[in-house]
Amino acid sequence: MNIIETENLTKIYKGNIRAVDNLNLQIEEGSIYGLLGPNGAGKSTTIKMLTTVIKPTSGTARVAGLDIIKQSMEVRRIIGLVPQDLTTDEDLKGIENLMMVAKFYDVPTAKARENIDRLLKLVDLQDAAKRLVGQYSGGMRKRLELIAGLVHEPKILFLDEPTLGLDVQTRSLMWDYIKNIQETKNITIILTSHYLEEVDALSDKLSIINRGKLIVSGTPAELKNNVGGDILTMSFRSAEDMNKSLEILSNFQPTKVTEKTARFKVKSSEVVLPEIIEPLKRNGIEPLRYQVDKPSLDTVFMDYVGRALPEEEGEGDSRKMMMNLRRLRR
Amino acid sequence: MSGLLPLTSREIKKWYRNPTFFIVGLLQPFFWIALFGSAFDITRGFGAAGRLILQGAPNYITFIIGGVATTTALFTGMFSGMNIIWDRRLGTLGRFLSSPIHRSSIVFSKIISATIRILVQILILFIAALLIPNGLEIASSFSAFDVILIIVTVTLVSTLFSSIFSVIAIRVTRQETIMGIVNLVNLPLMFASFALFPKQLMAPWLADIAQYNPVSWSATIMRTVIINGSLNASQLSTVLNNFIALFIVTVVVIVITYVLSESEIRQ
Repeated sequence: MNIIETENLTKIYKGNIRAVDNLNLQIEEGSIYGLLGPNGAGKSTTIKMLTTVIKPTSGTARVAGLDIIKQSMEVRRIIGLVPQDLTTDEDLKGIENLMMVAKFYDVPTAKARENIDRLLKLVDLQDAAKRLVGQYSGGMRKRLELIAGLVHEPKILFLDEPTLGLDVQTRSLMWDYIKNIQETKNITIILTSHYLEEVDALSDKLSIINRGKLIVSGTPAELKNNVGGDILTMSFRSAEDMNKSLEILSNFQPTKVTEKTARFKVKSSEVVLPEIIEPLKRNGIEPLRYQVDKPSLDTVFMDYVGRALPEEEGEGDSRKMMMNLRRLRR
Repeated sequence: MSGLLPLTSREIKKWYRNPTFFIVGLLQPFFWIALFGSAFDITRGFGAAGRLILQGAPNYITFIIGGVATTTALFTGMFSGMNIIWDRRLGTLGRFLSSPIHRSSIVFSKIISATIRILVQILILFIAALLIPNGLEIASSFSAFDVILIIVTVTLVSTLFSSIFSVIAIRVTRQETIMGIVNLVNLPLMFASFALFPKQLMAPWLADIAQYNPVSWSATIMRTVIINGSLNASQLSTVLNNFIALFIVTVVVIVITYVLSESEIRQ
């Protein structure tokens, strides 16, 4: 059963910026679903619309059968959100932050205490619970954010860039917590990320989004298979060299040709490379370099979007991240 | 209104856990009553005639205490919206907006906590005014009803100003915008009113404006009961007229705040 279905979901910001453009997603219940894309792709905007923080410009979505526009209050009751930013209050203790969120959902006090105790244990924050959040480290704050989205036992948890700005070790620790939560609570988790490894490691299914549009959906394995082998990129000294090479290698069909580079999709680069290097050498052509990319979500992305997933893009996002980092450093 | 209680308790905790904010807020009334009480003392050099200008008050501090209480409410209330902007900038607002709470409870938690802060400040203001030499002298017939009337008046005027400035903050993304507006209107609101000076000493055009200023209404109500205690018919009608005006304007502003914050608050 699909727990989330979007119908031509669109958000246009001031200045005619189409952050999300006729997005149609189907998300199955009880899975971890990844939304992958570069910064500024529209992932956060999609999450904000699905969590009723902002209204779509056109189109709509159903979350657990509830319309996000007409039944927004009902939607809010059954979802949990872990926003990109650090939203817990520094001037309150960890436990006070969690109790406040529990009260938003009218969780009875005894039940809230019980849930909070269990969640604090889950992310190893029992000892820090009575300290002011201002004294937490960056990793601790992210863990607190994570469980703040869970105190009311939501059916669906939205995680917007849950590991943004964390170091590698803390990040993999967060992954363990997220997997653990999904397994023990059997809830649906929707996760956005611009880290390929993150989506690869966590999600059962994913969609790649770019410029507000859905590029492709599937399981990580399916998408990698679709690429149909390795991607071989050859760079030449001159366009002349390249054109000559393409003639010589007429039994290979390039997937993409630019001025001095050609990209091929090959079954197995180990077998094919000698078949390419030999004839070129015989004709006196030496390409500048050969680059082989094994199937990964990165090659999937490259294959569909035509460029590598950029590390940083989008002024808004990086500004936000800097702000978070500044706060983390204190 | 769900969410109001936990959000207000958050604001109050943030207040008393920030020592600077807390202590400065409590010191401010002392400075104000001492400075305003001396700097603007219009009776100096008039001798016994001074009491006529003061509408029967025994000294200037007794005359302006209601006005200073009102300006305290104005100045603290004007900054009540600031935390909404902080919540927006830090992303906290996003969590609130995705929760099943009334959106207006986010705004009203700021208004209520500002009003509580103002009530504490004004309590200290009155204590300070009683302690300083040649300070506040309350009429002998001053009653519990007068105390309640002062508390209700302060609550109304605090709610009024906090609401106006919180409603501005529901769409504003920069603190500077609020600061600019505050700087633009704070002194005009204070001086174009009967808070510090009686009507007779003001230029006629200014007095004409001042009578429509809520600061004047609140100051006049408090001044009249503090100076006179039990009121005669004409004093009672002054208090009543000012109170009704203040009450109606405050209720209207609360309703507007509710409607706007339910529909217009943005991340």
